[in-house]
Amino acid sequence: MENIKKVILNTVPEAVIEDKKILTVTVEPNKLHQLAKALRDNTALPFDMLVKLIGMDWGEKLGVIYLLASSTDLSKEIVLKTGTADRENPLLYTVTDLFETAHFNEREVYALLGIRFINNPDMRKFFLNSDWVGYPLRKDYDANPELNKLSLESKDIIDIAPRIMEVDGKLVEETVNIFAEDDYIINIGPQHPSTHGVMHFRTSLDGEIVRKIDVHSGYIHRGIEKLSENLTYPQILHFTDRLDYLSANINRHALCMCVEKAAEIEVPERAQYIRTIMDELNRIDSHLLAWACQTNDLGATTAFIYGMREREIILHIFEKTCGGRLIINQNVIGGVMFDIYADFQKDVKSFIPYMREKLVEYDRFFSHNVIALGRMVGIGVMSKEDAISYAVTGPAGRGSGWSCDIRKHQPYSMYSKVDFKEVIRTEGDSYARYMNRLDEIEESLHIIEQLIDNIPEGEVLAKTKAIIKLPEGEYFQRIEACRGEFGVYIESRGDKTPYRMKFRSPSMALVSAMPLICKNEKISDFIGIGGSMDYVIPDIDR
Amino acid sequence: MLSNYSQPLEFTKLLGWLDTTLKANMPEVWANLIEFVIVAVAFLTAYAVIALILIYAERKITAFFQARFGPNRVGKYGIFQSVADMIKILLKEIIHINNVDKFLFYAAPFFMIVASMLTFGAIPFGKMLHAVDFNIGVLYVTAVSSLGIIGVLLAGWSSNNKYSMIGAMRSGAQFVSYELSAGFALMTIVVLTGTMSFSEMIAKQEFCWNIFNGHISSIVAFVIYLISGHAETNRGPFDLPEAESELTAGYHTEYSGLQFGFFYLAEYLNMFIIASIATTVFLGGWMPIQIHGLDIFNQFMWYIPSYVWFFGKTAVLIFLSLWVRWSFPRLRIDQLLNLEWKYLLPINLVNILVMVILVLSGLTLTDLFPSLF
Amino acid sequence: MESILKYFKGLFTGIKSLLFGMSVTWKELWTKKVTQQYPENRDTLVISDRFRCELTMPHDDNNEHACTACGICQMNCPNGTISVLSKMIETEDGKKKKILDTYTWDLGMCTFCNLCVITCPSDAIKFNNQFENAVFTRSKLVQTLNHEGSKLRDKKKDVKPAETNA
Repeated sequence: MENIKKVILNTVPEAVIEDKKILTVTVEPNKLHQLAKALRDNTALPFDMLVKLIGMDWGEKLGVIYLLASSTDLSKEIVLKTGTADRENPLLYTVTDLFETAHFNEREVYALLGIRFINNPDMRKFFLNSDWVGYPLRKDYDANPELNKLSLESKDIIDIAPRIMEVDGKLVEETVNIFAEDDYIINIGPQHPSTHGVMHFRTSLDGEIVRKIDVHSGYIHRGIEKLSENLTYPQILHFTDRLDYLSANINRHALCMCVEKAAEIEVPERAQYIRTIMDELNRIDSHLLAWACQTNDLGATTAFIYGMREREIILHIFEKTCGGRLIINQNVIGGVMFDIYADFQKDVKSFIPYMREKLVEYDRFFSHNVIALGRMVGIGVMSKEDAISYAVTGPAGRGSGWSCDIRKHQPYSMYSKVDFKEVIRTEGDSYARYMNRLDEIEESLHIIEQLIDNIPEGEVLAKTKAIIKLPEGEYFQRIEACRGEFGVYIESRGDKTPYRMKFRSPSMALVSAMPLICKNEKISDFIGIGGSMDYVIPDIDR
Repeated sequence: MLSNYSQPLEFTKLLGWLDTTLKANMPEVWANLIEFVIVAVAFLTAYAVIALILIYAERKITAFFQARFGPNRVGKYGIFQSVADMIKILLKEIIHINNVDKFLFYAAPFFMIVASMLTFGAIPFGKMLHAVDFNIGVLYVTAVSSLGIIGVLLAGWSSNNKYSMIGAMRSGAQFVSYELSAGFALMTIVVLTGTMSFSEMIAKQEFCWNIFNGHISSIVAFVIYLISGHAETNRGPFDLPEAESELTAGYHTEYSGLQFGFFYLAEYLNMFIIASIATTVFLGGWMPIQIHGLDIFNQFMWYIPSYVWFFGKTAVLIFLSLWVRWSFPRLRIDQLLNLEWKYLLPINLVNILVMVILVLSGLTLTDLFPSLF
Repeated sequence: MESILKYFKGLFTGIKSLLFGMSVTWKELWTKKVTQQYPENRDTLVISDRFRCELTMPHDDNNEHACTACGICQMNCPNGTISVLSKMIETEDGKKKKILDTYTWDLGMCTFCNLCVITCPSDAIKFNNQFENAVFTRSKLVQTLNHEGSKLRDKKKDVKPAETNA
């Protein structure tokens, strides 16, 4: 990391470097782009993955925190910070040209904090309507419902994007049309059978061929990050299950770990075992649903039902363990809420061979079907560079040949002690993503097999204080959820509630790559690619 | 030769008696008119009943393929489910949509129904149960069944909906392509039998079904006919025009109530029609299984009435179609056209040539083993 | 020549894969169906012990509960689902004491996070297995958990074993 410091100081000599757990660099807004570029292009250890982009209201300053990681070694992280004291018209420089994933994130920051980014090609608000009054994540936000009245009138969608560009050193405010005048635009969503939720794609078609996609999101935006600022940590936990509800347990695990690390709570080993097993069961559950939905998107309704049938067994195990099926409420700060039930091991062990048998059946039924192959092989190809730039992780990122499994790079819970393979394919097409999921089910079964018989006796819940307060500071936690890297960021000011809470959603990265990989594919394949990316909408909207 | 056996359950005697009584008691014009009305009513009823049975059967069989039970609430095993659905759809409000081309929008479902009805009328259901016996039956069936596509195109166009439009365009491409294959497959058998009339075709298949008679060539034609027939009915894996995961409901997105019911009915009837034509042309139609020389066996087979044979054979083919439908993912439009233009059509053309050679050089089964058939 | 070979190879592997697919559905046609027949199976239906349905306040035979009206559950609830109303009474020996007046819980707002149950110091509330809780009006979802005329159980005389869920 010393070399990195040199690189930083060479690029921006006045940068303020703090040696925290993660190297933190604070720079002026006009130097940030330069620094990020230098770090990205650093050949020895390129920081080319933008993990999180967090908009912040520090009170005196508005700003952004960037968490960068190296795509070759995800455990190498660096934090960049920048901010502006101008609250009326805060302007920062974009990093969209360096990290494509920043595009949607910057739009989100604009909607929620009002910071506009110079040179971002499309500076519309994400999540919120363009006429929303106020910026919810600012500390001085006026939540008076009179300001933003519920309107029942339908509004036309305006395909004009404002932006601020820097031309010859001067800032120019301009607007740009998203679509050409005679484009044949079709609204896929918000109510559509195959958007897997309330997602809205404005799609420009040329016959059957998709020419351009404009993503509209926010139909299920609940302001979870804002709500969290007024709740205690145990209370916030129940929101995590409702982000990506298909990897509910894993999300919750992330927040628990983040708080436990910050409050220095030791989690009993038995709880760690249970957490890992439940995480992997959750992963199988999610991948089964993803498989089922993808086949359904491709028109194979029967396969969908088979997937749901197998998933039901896992849900039943969840139900017996912790009384929930989808929202399972298992992890709490310091351990798990419920110990495993008496027959847990028996149930799980009987599930493993059954699932293996079914995986063979899935292969026979769908994976080699000539129609299915035609619908997936070579469709929606995403290169490794694009995957990194869009920060597409999970089975999709690994389908593009990028080793991005946090379980390998930053092992947590029991993952350092179990043996499993990171499933990587290099084709980058729908089929690679599809097969990755099926193979990951097999790997998850393998992990569970290693743990299930060795669960140690003991407590499942560490003693914690009645009111958990985190010491002042910033806490990052990354975890491998079913769809990719899930992240939690907490800024604490020593209270029992967080000052700022941010969730990194893997689905947002997946969806941001959709316009790229669906371009010039057929409309049927657009649906199929969506299924292979497997995004979950509440995770995007938060 | 056909009537040598006792056939207790056939309708022949009843129909003959009806005809003679009517004609004896009134002028021939009136008698004919009454007969027409009876036939028309019988067909309309059969049309609805067959559709209801098919809908129930499909839902039940689909459910069994998908590890479910299917409808099981209305009546024992849910047998009245489709009746209840029919009543619901009859009572349902038809939503009138602004900004559609009203005339075409309301006319489109009728095109579908009329096309399938016209085809339905030419099918021989059993001995004497044949409304119109054209001498060009095959040609007639291919001609009128393709009228249905007009309904789909009109529905898509007049709905003023982009999804419907894309669905209708897909349907157009699909129908025109697969019509070719279906026609050629039927022509192969016309070459074999030397007739276009359904009744003559059935008579010729008394001892040897066409599918066996032309062996290789017939089997290929049979398979191709099933595939393209399946594609013509717009059912999965060829259901691109109404691909629900892409186009919500394709060309009939905007339809509701009875108008939607018409599309629904026509879809199921088309499935039946395709299966029954395949039965008639390839599998001996209503003719029971007959073995040359085994009179006792033949007599036994004739105790099972001809319409049971017909519906039995058709049911097997329909089951096959359901099985295919619920096993495969949907094709993409280019895959669909590839299948037709790169595989089915060339194979078909070669096949028809092979059939001509078989017939001319006397290599069909009836020519090779005249003593057996 | 190679392209012709490829053409036929593609054709036959394609057909083979389709037949494999059909063999799977054929097998499934005859396997036992897993659908549960609710409500016919109501008598045999097993709901897991830990399944969280309705919040209840167990009362014993003397119509006594364990709630001291401390309000911790209300404080811990993330959604404001619970409201504990208490009143002050004077006990026989002249001391003032806070007791439970009404304990209201809104099923419609509850996210079943179980925080109230795990934080309750006197184990006064728990979730039951009554999962059939569909009603026609929202107001019916708001339930009062303490029974009419119930009172706080005297701790000394009644040492009931704590209810365990394991």
